[in-house]
Amino acid sequence: MSCDWVREQIPECLAGTLDKSARAVVIEHIETCANCRKELGELGVVWRGLEGQNPPEADPRMRVRFQEMMDVYQEAFRAGQQAARQTAGAPDRRKPWFTSPAWRAAGAFALLVAGVVCGRFLDRRVFDGSSQPGAEMAEMRAQLEGLRQLVALSLLDESSASSRLRGVHYSIQMTQPDAQVLQSLLRAVSRDPNVDVRLETVDALEKYAGEPDVRRALVDAIAVQESPLVQVALIDLLGKIHAHDALPALRKLAEDSQADETVRQHAELALNKIDSRKE
Amino acid sequence: MAADDEQLMAGVREGEIAKLEPLFDRHHRALFHFFLRLTSNRPASEDLVQDVFYRILKYRHTYQDGTSFRAWMYQIGRNALADFAARHKAEVALPDEAGDFAAGGPAPDRSAQSAQEAALLHRALKALPAEKREVLVLSRFQGLKYEEIATVLKCEVGTVKVRVYRALRELGDRFYALSGERAS
Repeated sequence: MSCDWVREQIPECLAGTLDKSARAVVIEHIETCANCRKELGELGVVWRGLEGQNPPEADPRMRVRFQEMMDVYQEAFRAGQQAARQTAGAPDRRKPWFTSPAWRAAGAFALLVAGVVCGRFLDRRVFDGSSQPGAEMAEMRAQLEGLRQLVALSLLDESSASSRLRGVHYSIQMTQPDAQVLQSLLRAVSRDPNVDVRLETVDALEKYAGEPDVRRALVDAIAVQESPLVQVALIDLLGKIHAHDALPALRKLAEDSQADETVRQHAELALNKIDSRKE
Repeated sequence: MAADDEQLMAGVREGEIAKLEPLFDRHHRALFHFFLRLTSNRPASEDLVQDVFYRILKYRHTYQDGTSFRAWMYQIGRNALADFAARHKAEVALPDEAGDFAAGGPAPDRSAQSAQEAALLHRALKALPAEKREVLVLSRFQGLKYEEIATVLKCEVGTVKVRVYRALRELGDRFYALSGERAS
């Protein structure tokens, strides 16, 4: 057996995980090979020395932080599902936005998170004497944002259309764009079977529409829409953000005699809007 | 009989979120020590553990049956650490002294020598290139099987075997260079 092979077995030999037959080969080899015997001796000292490097215990407050995350996530998810059941379908746009069960659930989520955040903030300041409240608050804001993303993603994946609507609402509350949430929204705007979800998703995508990839996806989504309502919403959004790269698709649509009359009119309007900005 | 890690994670993936709690209880200490050994930064290591469990929740749908949960978790841990390192370059560095790491359980008459050896080993470990330190920590301290390390590092088991040996060899060279003596 070669020395190289034997030496590669040394860590497992020292850990006691080498299988019996390989171990027997190693032992037989080192009885006759002084260099490998020396290697085993030297590395054995290092291996055993590492055993004495004991790290400190984990802080029990890590468990508390984890539980907070779980509680907030589960509570928000339940609130989202409950609100979705109450909404039962399309949101009533005649009522003030803050009276809808969905937004009440969002409020409950915000209050719950605020409670946890304040609790943690005070806890750290009292027990650690922390003098960096700005950094603490920034970290907590980031955690809140992360929880919004999680809840949005989970709800967007639900089988109930009302839950997916809630997911879209949560995504609107996010201050930072998240790639995974964005992908879910782009999927939803093209493929969600529910028209209301697709309509809400168009609104949610507005804040991402500055990105060329998103604009392209919005243009592509027009072609696959069965609902003229959603097509109009997409066209209006492209007009609103003056999407120059959407001009060829909008022209084609405006000239398409097979297209819905309202869709064609809105395509004309969007073209004029974008052209006027160009001039 | 308690459910194994893989069964629990499959449950989390299917929406039984509460099953993440026993997984946290089982693994957060080891994960904390993993990060602490690689960064020697306690607050950062605590944050990284939270980040890993947050990511497990976020990416739970990507967990595949038949994958070792531990290997998957350490894969996520590596990504979290890489992101953290990119954001806080200056903070991810081992301190010069052994710091939080205590030399454990030597006989009283050997305690001074052991403490000195522990400090030298710590310095030698610090001087190892990051990828060698990582493979050694996964193998020596985290107790991962070579098959699991291969999954974490996305390489062959044979490659892991060679990498662990080379890392230990280099650690030995650095340690003996610092201590000025070699085993007879």
